[in-house]
Amino acid sequence: MGEASKISRYLYTVIVLFLIWLFLTASLDPQELGFGLLLSLIVGAFTYEIFTTNGLANLHPKRIAYAIAYIPYFLWAMIMANLDVAYRVLHPKRPINPGIVECRTVLKSDVGKLSLANSITLTPGTITLDVDGDKYFIHWIDVKDDSVEGASKSITEPFEKFLKVIFG
Amino acid sequence: MLKRALAIITLLIIGYWLAQGLAGVPFGEDKMLVGQYYLDNVKQQTGAVNAVTAVVVNYRGFDTLGEVTVLFIASTGVGALLWRRKKERTAKTEGSIVLTTGTRLLFPFVMLFGAYIFIHGHLTPGGGFPGGATIATAFLLLYLAFITYEIPHRGFEVTEGLAGMSYVAVGLIGLAIGGYFLFDWIWQTWQFGWDNVGRLLSGGFIPIIYTIIGIKVGTELSGIIDNMLKEEVSE
Repeated sequence: MGEASKISRYLYTVIVLFLIWLFLTASLDPQELGFGLLLSLIVGAFTYEIFTTNGLANLHPKRIAYAIAYIPYFLWAMIMANLDVAYRVLHPKRPINPGIVECRTVLKSDVGKLSLANSITLTPGTITLDVDGDKYFIHWIDVKDDSVEGASKSITEPFEKFLKVIFG
Repeated sequence: MLKRALAIITLLIIGYWLAQGLAGVPFGEDKMLVGQYYLDNVKQQTGAVNAVTAVVVNYRGFDTLGEVTVLFIASTGVGALLWRRKKERTAKTEGSIVLTTGTRLLFPFVMLFGAYIFIHGHLTPGGGFPGGATIATAFLLLYLAFITYEIPHRGFEVTEGLAGMSYVAVGLIGLAIGGYFLFDWIWQTWQFGWDNVGRLLSGGFIPIIYTIIGIKVGTELSGIIDNMLKEEVSE
């Protein structure tokens, strides 16, 4: 995916920063809105070059819809994984079978890889140790399949179907 | 062993001595003399809802000017101590993609939050120093995540100096208008923001001074980080 134009990247940064400002101040006072816009414009001018490469393309409706749908999906995966780890901790025999497995991802963009790594780490039972190109090295509390394909199927693929649309 | 025992005994004696001194001060009782005056008059006299910033910037502005000077001297001192003709970053290991991408995404948010802190200094806890330190944290993030990153030195040093001068200039305008240094001309003479105490555009010159301090502290601490992370390179 090529880089978007400077204007598109700048506008995208300003929009995101302004949204953050709205959440921070939680007020629709015109003075707050004015200063929020001003500060977003200034901070955006300094930071847009390292913040984004896709620019406004990130605001495609399909991507936003998938991103919103991903939040409950991810939270559900997180709760289930936490319960699973709690079960392993409380079980008298401690049924663990730890190991480090390698997974492959189909994600291309850096941000996509970051969110996949964070999603894997935040679902207990799996921790991302390192990311190298399209290879993920993951510490798994209960290794069921140590082949690359098998591990990818149960670790990365559930998240990938969303993240692929959101970040490419 | 003897040294350690002596040190522990000395510390115990000092601790007991301090505890004896503090035992005479009752906890939770009203013993405000000047404090009551600040709390009673802060809104009418300065327009700030946050009494701490009003005290720090308005009532005792010289202290803050002194603190800014101390920080400036610290930054200059570090620069002077670590000055070498040729200095470079010597870190060799590039961070993983998770670290670098995370830093890229966080950087604007940290900057915006720093700005949020210093612009709301007269309304919420915080002010110029925490805001500036937050902004410096953003640059520290860049330094730690990218092995080649360097702040734009010339721009940073000039900004730092200009911010310091603007603080003094605001004070001097007060001297010209109101008769003493750091006189709050925006609040007292212009009466700007009298009708909306508690909203953003109030508080006299506190938001202006805190913006200046935020920029100054942010660039200054980033400069200190820059100086300390670099090592001398033999040619």
